[in-house]
Amino acid sequence: MSAARTDSLVSVRGLCKSYVQKRQFSGAKFTVDALCNVNLEIPRGATTALVGESGAGKSTLVRCVALLEKPTGGEIEFDGRNLLALDTEELFRARRQFQLVFQDPTSSLNPGMTAAEIVAEPLVIQREVTKTDRRRKAIELMEHVGLTSASADKRPLEFSGGQRQRLAIARALALRPKLLILDEAFSNLDLATRESILRLLRDLQAAHSLTYLHVSHDLRMVFDLADEVAVMYEGRIIEHGTALELFAQPQHHYTRGLLAATQLPARLATDCTAEAPR
Amino acid sequence: MRYVARRLAHAVLILIAISFLSFVLLQSAPGNYLDDLRMNPRISAQTINALRDKYGFDQPFPVRYARWMRSTLKGDMGFSFAYNGAVGPLVWTRARNTLLLTGSSTLIAWALALPLGVWSAARKGRWDDRLFSAATSTLLAIPDLLLFLLLLLLAARTGWFPAGGMASPGFDDLSTLGKVKDVCLHFALPSLGLALVSMPILVRHIRAAMIEALESPFIRAARGHGIPQKRLLWRYALPAASNPLISLLGLSIAGMLSASAIVEVVLSWPGLGPLMVQAVLSRDVYVVLAVVMLSSAFLVAGNLVADLLLFASDPRIRVE
Amino acid sequence: MKQLRKGGKLLVLLAGLHVPILLASFFAPYGFSEQNRERPFAPPSRIHFVDSVGRFHVRPFVYGLKDDPNTFGAYLVDTQEIYLLHFLVPGSSYRLMGLFPARKHLFGVDEPGRIFLMGTDGYGRDQFTRFIYGGQISLAAGILAAALSLLLGTLIGSFAGFCGGWIDNVVMRGGDIFLALPWLYLLFAVRAALPLHIAQWQVFLLLVAVIGLIGWAQPARLIRGVVLSAKERNFVAAARGFGASDFYLLRRHILPQTYGVMLTQMTLLIPRYVLAEVTLTFLGLGVGEPMPSWGSLLFALQQYYVLSSYWWMFLPAALLVPLFLAYFWTADALQEHLKSVPL
Repeated sequence: MSAARTDSLVSVRGLCKSYVQKRQFSGAKFTVDALCNVNLEIPRGATTALVGESGAGKSTLVRCVALLEKPTGGEIEFDGRNLLALDTEELFRARRQFQLVFQDPTSSLNPGMTAAEIVAEPLVIQREVTKTDRRRKAIELMEHVGLTSASADKRPLEFSGGQRQRLAIARALALRPKLLILDEAFSNLDLATRESILRLLRDLQAAHSLTYLHVSHDLRMVFDLADEVAVMYEGRIIEHGTALELFAQPQHHYTRGLLAATQLPARLATDCTAEAPR
Repeated sequence: MRYVARRLAHAVLILIAISFLSFVLLQSAPGNYLDDLRMNPRISAQTINALRDKYGFDQPFPVRYARWMRSTLKGDMGFSFAYNGAVGPLVWTRARNTLLLTGSSTLIAWALALPLGVWSAARKGRWDDRLFSAATSTLLAIPDLLLFLLLLLLAARTGWFPAGGMASPGFDDLSTLGKVKDVCLHFALPSLGLALVSMPILVRHIRAAMIEALESPFIRAARGHGIPQKRLLWRYALPAASNPLISLLGLSIAGMLSASAIVEVVLSWPGLGPLMVQAVLSRDVYVVLAVVMLSSAFLVAGNLVADLLLFASDPRIRVE
Repeated sequence: MKQLRKGGKLLVLLAGLHVPILLASFFAPYGFSEQNRERPFAPPSRIHFVDSVGRFHVRPFVYGLKDDPNTFGAYLVDTQEIYLLHFLVPGSSYRLMGLFPARKHLFGVDEPGRIFLMGTDGYGRDQFTRFIYGGQISLAAGILAAALSLLLGTLIGSFAGFCGGWIDNVVMRGGDIFLALPWLYLLFAVRAALPLHIAQWQVFLLLVAVIGLIGWAQPARLIRGVVLSAKERNFVAAARGFGASDFYLLRRHILPQTYGVMLTQMTLLIPRYVLAEVTLTFLGLGVGEPMPSWGSLLFALQQYYVLSSYWWMFLPAALLVPLFLAYFWTADALQEHLKSVPL
């Protein structure tokens, strides 16, 4: 659980993202600031968690980091390269290095495709595999996450929620990324499934030296998982530190409120000097 | 208020766009009117020259368009080659008749469709609803043309209704009441026919909108409070469904206008339909233009009214 | 899944209905412009198994017709003349689907008898023959026009939906204009712009083009809706995360979502467009004589005496009802299936 805090894999500096929305009937426009001047360092090989309430901007932030959305300002540095300054070719190749696993595995998998096709899709898009090899590689990946080759031709709906999430993870790993972003990837799963997938992720991290960025609003899970935690509120990062620091001595009043609303395990209460009212 | 102004401006823009496109379309029709006119012995050379000046036949396109627009705004709407006169007066009476027909048919169709749609939504899935849906589907499958021809046959065979036209011979000699009765008898069949062809689709959509409203949580809560079914249907669900229904009203006017052309031809109701057919057959371009513009104007006006009704009835719009 | 099988079965049934029309030259006993001038407005032939003296015939037959001396224009059945009905008869030669020369017809009666399953028109032409051949014109017009509308609508709708922003706005406003026009009047107007006296096949193509091109707005709107929602799906975002190009996204993920809607639209548009062609021809603005479009078959009904005396002239219109019903039921089954497929 402890991380060797070396260099940062990802450095986000001054990131801003605003949307312009129109009122449906009167046509008047107004801007929504989803992210304001966000600074974040994601250390290599460790697990960073991003917490906060709904609407705080966590998903927006990770989507920007995964380059699924375009920020309105700021910088994102990945492994020393400025992601926002890349041209189309470089961007295409850079995408291999970071992948996003979505919250709802049902919607992130095309219901019309088979498991093998889904898992092989990144390889197909990045043209890394020939037609004949596709299936073999897909089954390899599936077995790596604990799924059998027998289910290669099944469609997503024929799998359970946990298995679908494993498929999504297998797919995300297809291009051997350095960073795996998990956007509330466990909210839809029951506890037992959650546990087994967390174990899987731990094994994968050890095996491939992966860096994880977890987005979650489940503080207990974050406490077990994360090396570093960043707290977001209304589009800003209001506190950032190691898990232990944050839970023991939260600086910001919002963090304190967040912790207070959560029932933390008994050992934390004895370990820390937090004034966390029940 | 901004909303109203926006919709109004939108409507005017659409009409202008339509006028432009139609004009382009028809001007590209092959054939030179001047030559056709010159061959007609009834039209004097002076008239031809006057027309040429007024409408700029030998001028470039923008000039012709501008002259036609001007003539339209003055009420002339161009020149009819077949009738040898301005299009305006020709078209106004016909337009009035079509409006009369379409308006009354819309009323009848909705008066029939609304209770039927609400009722069938309330009894969804039960045997009488399914029977009714089957009947509606069948009615829908009957081509408009067939229905109108059958009505004509009915009129011819039974003599209950006159088989065409708007007024009987000797109309002027009737008393006012007699005149009203006569016109009503004449337009009963076309009106009924038009309403019947539009009704099935309306019922379907009303039923769908009502079902959606009935399945919403607040209705279920109301039902849980013990509110009686009838009140629930009419005072709770129907207003909730009014948004899509008002939009439906706008669309139904469109369909009604198109179908009205057919019923007017088959049942000889002197509206825009027969005029249009004749104009197409005799290549009377300005008449065609005028009819297209007028019918579009009706449609746009109908939709505008529907939009305004929506604005007045749906509080979500006004809150913005 | 039950719905799909039902929808699939209905599609097959629907296709089956079109076979006689496709192979019209085989199914029809006569040519479509063959006249029997001495038998104008003959009523439909009745098929009998038992003749006037009570004898049973294994092979069905029709009676001959003779003029009724008491009523002008009416016919009496001549029980002396018996014409047997045969199947797979050699008849006038034709080209099956315009390609394969053949002589056999599905059924026919001995010469000089005639079998008029749907009666004859004012020129003594067999209405059944003309109905089947007419289907080739009217149905083909409807199907081609629907395909055109759908193609155009899909192209424009997916483009607008995918691009979003101002492009979407402009395109939808354009569509609004087309939807704002009463389509029949628009059809008339476009027809007016075209020369009246051109070759029949040109009229046909023009009709198809006009009907099809005007109707793009509604399918476009529907497809755009599907594309808009498909665009936001997470699996599209995931693919984008792998570096997929817009083209790949459309081809692999977004457009497949529209296939169901497209099929349903097709089954809804075809009856409408067939009716459009029939109406235009009925009003004299479409395909003219001697091409037996269903509209021309109904044309005679505009005359009072035909309307009130010769009921069989209504048959072409009446037969449209089951045809359209078949289309609607198929469309309904397809829509049910679409709703049940989780998206």
